[in-house]
Amino acid sequence: MTSIDLYAIAPELVLVVVGSVLVLASAFAPALRPRLVWLAGLGAVGALATRWVLPLPGAVFSAALRVDALARFVDTYILAALLLVLVMAEPYFVRTAVRGGEVYALLLWAATGAMVMAKADHLLPVFIGLELLSVCLYVLNASHRDSLVSLESGFKYLVVGAFASGLLLFGIALVYGAAGTFSLRAIAVVATTQPLTGNPLLLAGLALVLAGLGFKLALVPFHAWAPDVYQGAPTPVTAFLSVVPKGATLVVFARLVTALAPHSLPPRWTTLLAVIAIASQALGNLAAIAQRDLKRMLAYSGIAHMGYAMVGIVAFGAEGLAGVVVYLAAYTFMNLAAFGVVSAFSESEDEPHRLADLAGQGWKRPFLSFALTVSMFALAGIPPTVGFVAKFLVFKAAVTENLVWLAVVGVLNSLVSVFFYFRVVFTLYMRPLPSREPAFAEPWPTRFATGLCTLAMVGLGLLPGWLVSTAEQAVRALLE
Amino acid sequence: MRLSGMLLSALVLTPGTVGLVLLLLTPRNAKSLHRWVGMLTSLATLGLALLAWSRFDISDPGFQFVEVRTWLPSLGISYRLGMDGIALVLVLLTALLQPVVMLSSWKQIDDKVKGYVASMLILETGMLGAFLATDLFLFYVFWELMLLPMYFIIGVWGGERRVYAAVKFVIFTLAGSLLMLVGILYLGSLHKASPAGVWSFAFEDIAKLTIPGGAGFWHNPQLLAFSVFALAFAIKVPVWPLHTWLPDAHVEAPTGGSIILAGVLLKLGTFGFLRYCRPLFPEAWQAATPLFVTLAVIAIIVGALVAYAQKDIKKLVAYSSVSHMGFVMLGLFGGTVTSTQGALLQMVNHGLSSGALFLLVGVIYDRRHTRLFEDFGGLAKVMPLYTAAFMITTLSSIGLPGLNGFVGELLIFLGSFKTQPVAVIIAATGVVLGAVYMLTVVQRVFWNPLVHEANRGLEDLTWREVTAFAPLGLAMIWIGVYPLPLLSLSEAAIRRLIGG
Repeated sequence: MTSIDLYAIAPELVLVVVGSVLVLASAFAPALRPRLVWLAGLGAVGALATRWVLPLPGAVFSAALRVDALARFVDTYILAALLLVLVMAEPYFVRTAVRGGEVYALLLWAATGAMVMAKADHLLPVFIGLELLSVCLYVLNASHRDSLVSLESGFKYLVVGAFASGLLLFGIALVYGAAGTFSLRAIAVVATTQPLTGNPLLLAGLALVLAGLGFKLALVPFHAWAPDVYQGAPTPVTAFLSVVPKGATLVVFARLVTALAPHSLPPRWTTLLAVIAIASQALGNLAAIAQRDLKRMLAYSGIAHMGYAMVGIVAFGAEGLAGVVVYLAAYTFMNLAAFGVVSAFSESEDEPHRLADLAGQGWKRPFLSFALTVSMFALAGIPPTVGFVAKFLVFKAAVTENLVWLAVVGVLNSLVSVFFYFRVVFTLYMRPLPSREPAFAEPWPTRFATGLCTLAMVGLGLLPGWLVSTAEQAVRALLE
Repeated sequence: MRLSGMLLSALVLTPGTVGLVLLLLTPRNAKSLHRWVGMLTSLATLGLALLAWSRFDISDPGFQFVEVRTWLPSLGISYRLGMDGIALVLVLLTALLQPVVMLSSWKQIDDKVKGYVASMLILETGMLGAFLATDLFLFYVFWELMLLPMYFIIGVWGGERRVYAAVKFVIFTLAGSLLMLVGILYLGSLHKASPAGVWSFAFEDIAKLTIPGGAGFWHNPQLLAFSVFALAFAIKVPVWPLHTWLPDAHVEAPTGGSIILAGVLLKLGTFGFLRYCRPLFPEAWQAATPLFVTLAVIAIIVGALVAYAQKDIKKLVAYSSVSHMGFVMLGLFGGTVTSTQGALLQMVNHGLSSGALFLLVGVIYDRRHTRLFEDFGGLAKVMPLYTAAFMITTLSSIGLPGLNGFVGELLIFLGSFKTQPVAVIIAATGVVLGAVYMLTVVQRVFWNPLVHEANRGLEDLTWREVTAFAPLGLAMIWIGVYPLPLLSLSEAAIRRLIGG
């Protein structure tokens, strides 16, 4: 291991060390507990700064990790999400008395896992990163220890997550059996020299890997866990869960598909991915209409959004992958804003986060309602928000690749989704206010975090140039 | 020089920017501040529109005051604004109606004034932007931008069934526009596949492309692309049978919302046909002409018959819009220079007359909180000014010579008769039907005996309501007597478009 290798993973090291300090401080210096969130935030900022200051070495650790522009983009995205979650988590955890360094340490470590996944050019780090991420999330989901739904959520995520990890690992083993290597590039060489159709072991292995990743993305038919887990987990954890693992997994997906180069994949695979994309969109949007709980609704909306992002993967090429990467960034801001507001609106954690409870709040709490409204419009893909830009890019990629039908199905699904996103807005502003006052004041950190997300949604929607060019640059590194 | 380089941006962005500032930075209860800011901003925008008119060169058929700024260069998306004669006419209509809307809502909207004024101003930016955008992406952004404020205007300040109407409005509009987005993407990709080799959504670049045709429907890209654009615009117009959102939205919207909806938003549909469908898809336009002429004639007749059957005055006016927009569609698809000029003029006429009708219906609704015919009668004695205003508007709406409606209908019929004689003959009966239902309104509301005691003490138009109506009434008379200046504004642009 050369020193350059350690430089390359310096941000991860920062997070791991700060996480460990947090746990120790929480155990041995309980007086410091109220201030630990600052340390956690400092760790995340430090990791972010490290990533941007140090050069990008490319392949490190015997080409197991690839620290390129794409990795930097995804790291930035994960760390930004982490910071925003930390900001909105603090008041929430104070209120619900789930306090302590452990929660923040777990968030930091989970982010580390996601960052490892996003750099993996090799199936083993994919698995290691995924496990680190998942194990931390199992605990985080159940961190609301007095709440039955939180425990149920943690347990469900554990069972399903373990199953998915098992599938993934089994798939990796089969791929190794067929190709004799874990490296994505080496597997690609095997796949191009021998036709995949004559290689059932490799095919079965890839299918299992796809299924394992599909679980993490909550794509249909691997989606059933999402609503329960989203609903039960502490809301800031849900916010984290809904963006970070999905982002990292999508990047793994992108790297895998790029390495295998679609021309070596039989067209059936493209069709399969397209079907998964469409099924996720359709099921996610239709089921979201029936939800009365905001967090469940956002869970189904997340399923649909991964379906849209998959359109970019199916379309492949520089445009499609750039679209996916932009989609990730957009999805982060939209979802974090939405969950931030939901966590601020929730009266008590034992109660469901009912849509009806938002009635008339638009006039009572204008700031948070405005943020929620913007995020709903962004999720629905209405310009001028970043959600529209993201959808525009993936559908544009589909049209370029002569997959106009996929774009048409996508926009029709968007139309369906408008119904339930607008219903939230309608409940906020067009329903009479019940004679109920908010149980507590809006915490300023939540306002700050959601305000930031709102600015990002509108700002990046009006001036997406920087985001798009960074994404294009990131993807260029991948396609070299 | 510097000024004219920014003129269109100033025109488009002024109302929306003021609206956002109002929304985000002013206290909630400063009602009269919000009203005055809304009014003055609308007047300032009208001033800018008039300035554009004064500097407009009517002999130039192309886009004037062009502004081009890079926006997303790698995707071929730019911020492009330009004004031709067609856009100028509609911009003037929009800018004229906006202060009327502000005045009409002065007393009527007393709850959440800030949100209302801000929505109206942002809506104006959306409308002006959609008329002036010369990049398809930018056009789409403005097109969608109109949706959100209108959703709030109907849903928050509307009548009893406002939520149903607002949701229906949104779903219908988006159903069309989302498919149009795929069409826009397709045109961009065609430009990429062309020798130019780069993405572009600029109107002038797209207009140079020849969009491939083919046999049948599903294998004919030009017809398919035309269809998605036409669907989006047809929903907005609305063309029968896609009109069902309109009566709900118009009836439930507050008076100001109805005025702007009927006055301007519907025009965006017909404007879209003229600006995009006709030049971009000439063969598909030819192929679709029989269909759209038929639908236009159906809309004229059915809209008029259904209007006649209404008991609610506002609903009647809403259905009359379906009928009147049928005339506009007939003029557009009549295909000659004369008929297209008539169609454009009729867009303005309908904007003025239906805007005025909604304004006037709002006046009696404010006083009596009902809009049913049976609750009125004999108002001519109680409200003479109001009666006069209503009569002028009615006569303009049914096309009495000397008022604006006559000129537009005449041009449409004259121009279309060469190409669509049968349709014109049937449509002409629609004029008679229009007279039937509008005069019935006048008779029942103003001339029948005064049976309801509640109507006896009704207050006549206030100075504020007179001020709101005056510009519309004057414009009706002016266009009716001397339409040439207005027609000559758009003549060059239309001649180039039709090639006549």
